[in-house]
Amino acid sequence: MEKEKGIVVPGDFLGTSEEFTPGEGVYDEKGNICASLIGGVSISDKRVIEVQPKVETPPTLKEGDVVVCRIEDLRDTVAIVSIACLKGHEEREIAASTQGVIHISNVRNGYVNDLQREFGYLDLVKAKVIDVAALRLSTEGKDLGVIKAICAKCKSNLKRKGNTLACESCKRVEVRNISEDYGKGLL
Amino acid sequence: MKEEKIELIKDGKRLDGRGFEDLRPIKIEVGVLKRADGSCYFELGNNKALAAVYGPREKHPRHLQDAKTAVVTYRYNMAPFSVDDRKRPGPDRRSVEVSKVSREALDPVILKEYYPKTAIDVYVELLQSDAGTRTAGINAASIALAAAGIPMRDLVSSVAVGKIDGEVVLDLNAVEDNHGEADMPVAMVARTDAITMLQMDGRFTKDEFERGLKLATKACHEIYELQRTALIEKYSESVGKGEE
Repeated sequence: MEKEKGIVVPGDFLGTSEEFTPGEGVYDEKGNICASLIGGVSISDKRVIEVQPKVETPPTLKEGDVVVCRIEDLRDTVAIVSIACLKGHEEREIAASTQGVIHISNVRNGYVNDLQREFGYLDLVKAKVIDVAALRLSTEGKDLGVIKAICAKCKSNLKRKGNTLACESCKRVEVRNISEDYGKGLL
Repeated sequence: MKEEKIELIKDGKRLDGRGFEDLRPIKIEVGVLKRADGSCYFELGNNKALAAVYGPREKHPRHLQDAKTAVVTYRYNMAPFSVDDRKRPGPDRRSVEVSKVSREALDPVILKEYYPKTAIDVYVELLQSDAGTRTAGINAASIALAAAGIPMRDLVSSVAVGKIDGEVVLDLNAVEDNHGEADMPVAMVARTDAITMLQMDGRFTKDEFERGLKLATKACHEIYELQRTALIEKYSESVGKGEE
């Protein structure tokens, strides 16, 4: 990687398309490659020219990203969720559609008989993106799963008791696909 | 309408001491609002504009989404205390129009197709007004968009020209605007001189119009340099991205 110039702003002329292949943060207009973001210019060995942004860019989802979402609907085989934020970009909203699905086959590593025993309505869930186009998510993994849940009866917060969740006010006990980060407030 | 004639030009100088082709002093601050994705405070003489950009984020209601591109919304709003007499708060005919033309002034430079089905929301608040607020708002919004990391083709710069006492002058203030003969706000992409907004209130002859446009073009180049410097200064200090 070769660094050049100082900071560029949108519209700064960087070179022509005969010289470089446009990468991230640049655009090609009539053969002229210009910056589209504020940042420093870098040119790779294969002459791909890029702007390394100095500003926070809008977060978009990639396969493997960890997101925090809320269960909006529970069907027989899928849970519909709305994605709140992307891990590492908690301050900014996601620049795309935010409705995702967790299929029963992607909930955990083993066989799942009843989705109702894995998630509850309005649970906060940490999940991984496995398909960007259809926004399919997975909660396979120790750190993934429910990170906050409310009691189905009295709506107060559930506390973790071993592998189950207990309600402190009405003593109800519920089961979930619990993340190891349950109740810690960590993402 | 006109009560008494005010002499707007004395000894070749304007009432505030400027020459015909002088801009009012400009002050730019980038990233002033913590919760906005990008923001900018812009002063043009006595005009004080605050721009905040949010998004791209999912557009609601869903039927207003565009499957191919992001949708840009722009709100121009004058604070009730921004003018001498209290301005009745809320949108009115004028602010709806200014919002529309300002949105269209910025729209062509944003690379919207990177973020389909989303909204890019631009909010411009005028804290103090002294004629030429829409141009101050566009300048501020353009910087705020860049600071929000939204991919853009270029920055937009904007300035007004007008006619007072028969002379074509740059960047009218409120007295000149009220008692002058014409006012013409222009927004353009300074690098290519592509005009993205052009309005005119009052009358110019063809010759005056051309002189005015030339004046505005020159001033837009000046403003562009200031916008550019402000952004570079802001972001060369903070190495790496994230917290400022």
